[in-house]
Amino acid sequence: MTLSVTGLSASRSGRTILHPTSLNIETGERIGLVGASGSGKSTLGNALVDDLRARGQSVAHVPQSPDEALDPLRSLNFHWAETERALGLAADPVRRQGIFKALRIDGGDLRKRPWGWSRGMQQRFVIAMALMGAPDLLVLDEPTSALDPVVAARTMDLLDEHLSGGRTAMLLITHDLGLAARRVDRLIVMDDGKIAEDAPTQTLLNAPQTPAARSLSAHRNWLSLPC
Amino acid sequence: MTQALFGLLLRAAVVLAGTALATFALLWNAPGDPALAITIARYHSVVSPEIIDKIRVEAGLNAGFWTAFQSWIGPILQGDFGNSSVSGRPVLPELAAAAFYTVPLALAGLAIGLVLSIPLAIFAAKRPGSWIDRGAVAIASLGAAIPAYWLGLLLILLFAVNLAWLPAMGARTPAHAILPALTLGLGVAASLTRIIRSGILEARGQPFLPAFRRRGVSDKAIGRDHIAPHAAIPVVTVFGLELAFLLEGAVMVEVIFARPGLGSFLVSAIEARDFPKVQAVVLLAALLFVIVNLLIDLFYRMIDPRIGERDA
Repeated sequence: MTLSVTGLSASRSGRTILHPTSLNIETGERIGLVGASGSGKSTLGNALVDDLRARGQSVAHVPQSPDEALDPLRSLNFHWAETERALGLAADPVRRQGIFKALRIDGGDLRKRPWGWSRGMQQRFVIAMALMGAPDLLVLDEPTSALDPVVAARTMDLLDEHLSGGRTAMLLITHDLGLAARRVDRLIVMDDGKIAEDAPTQTLLNAPQTPAARSLSAHRNWLSLPC
Repeated sequence: MTQALFGLLLRAAVVLAGTALATFALLWNAPGDPALAITIARYHSVVSPEIIDKIRVEAGLNAGFWTAFQSWIGPILQGDFGNSSVSGRPVLPELAAAAFYTVPLALAGLAIGLVLSIPLAIFAAKRPGSWIDRGAVAIASLGAAIPAYWLGLLLILLFAVNLAWLPAMGARTPAHAILPALTLGLGVAASLTRIIRSGILEARGQPFLPAFRRRGVSDKAIGRDHIAPHAAIPVVTVFGLELAFLLEGAVMVEVIFARPGLGSFLVSAIEARDFPKVQAVVLLAALLFVIVNLLIDLFYRMIDPRIGERDA
């Protein structure tokens, strides 16, 4: 099923931070949303999630840092059960164990509160919650920027493996073209609240058409971390 | 956890011992002749110096400070608060009789305060900056600015004098407690409303809440399971201070409404320099504070164990 949104826009204190934007996302597609800081990537991601959610589509969102996703006063068990209830799912320890195994957090103590786990494990827990309802679209907003490069690469590998062959499409928001290039089929470059360029990954990297894409492409070598 | 509890109890014991020593020292060094004050309170007249000296010996006032302190604190550790210097009767039954009036009054004031402030604060925090919110904050600020003795007099004027609905003076029937409890409760409600409101607003700004909404958690569940616990931390913190206000307010309200209780017990004991009575009240208040603060500490550790870990 193709997910499509039209006319998404956003403004903050009178200034337009996202110009009307339309987007189609195919089943299982991997898209990278790149651009400089302040170009409107996260705004587009949030607007996309909120719009699709409001229309009853199954989407999940992973924010940049686990601090933006987990309540420090509540146990991880509580988070998991709460999300199950919110999605209208019955408690299913087998499904949970499957996702946890895939992300290699099946050894963690769920009675602990988030800060009882390492940040890398917290972030993988947040990704696990996002995967729980097998959403049609998973929006990852700089999902690994709070992690060290080795843990980040590992996390992305595990996620890739879990999603491969499935129906879940992925939108990876990042300023790191190196990270995006290796993991997505299609790149969308944002500039000044607008989509500047939207093309298959190789096309965009080899022949960028716009100044924004050219500047990102030119800097990708020293930007690329081992992930 | 056991270790933390031990630490908290040790701290409580140190506070109690310090309070006992400090009050004793303050009374011991207060200006004026305590033996004379006791004599006047007992005989209602100035009598011969021989009798005053006799009372000085009887009340242990001729001994040194440390001897007197030890002979006072020793029996207390075994639960004996001694006898009144004036009447010679044991302090504890009289203290219990006074507390029998004050404790229900304070609890009623607290209950009124909670019942009024929680809905008002939640209502005000729903739309911060709206006229409802501004009105609630204005009422709360006004309430916090009005001293209990003035509010008490206003309530007497309105409900007892003009409308003649309620009795004002004494403590003969439960209806006599309504105006005093209301006086206390309105003061408590005023300060609690502001604190609960700002606690809710601060909790609402927590960075993780948008993610919960995107996960499909209902606003009701977010309010109950995430905003309320975060808002509870500052509210519980002021609760200990609120208790001080309640005790102080209860004493004042008892004087305004001519009610028996710890207020008149304490005032008459101070006037007569009845050391055992004054010290018993102070120790009781200190004990109450220590217990409440202990409970608050335990509550903190339950709701957010990081608080305990930072201390360690």
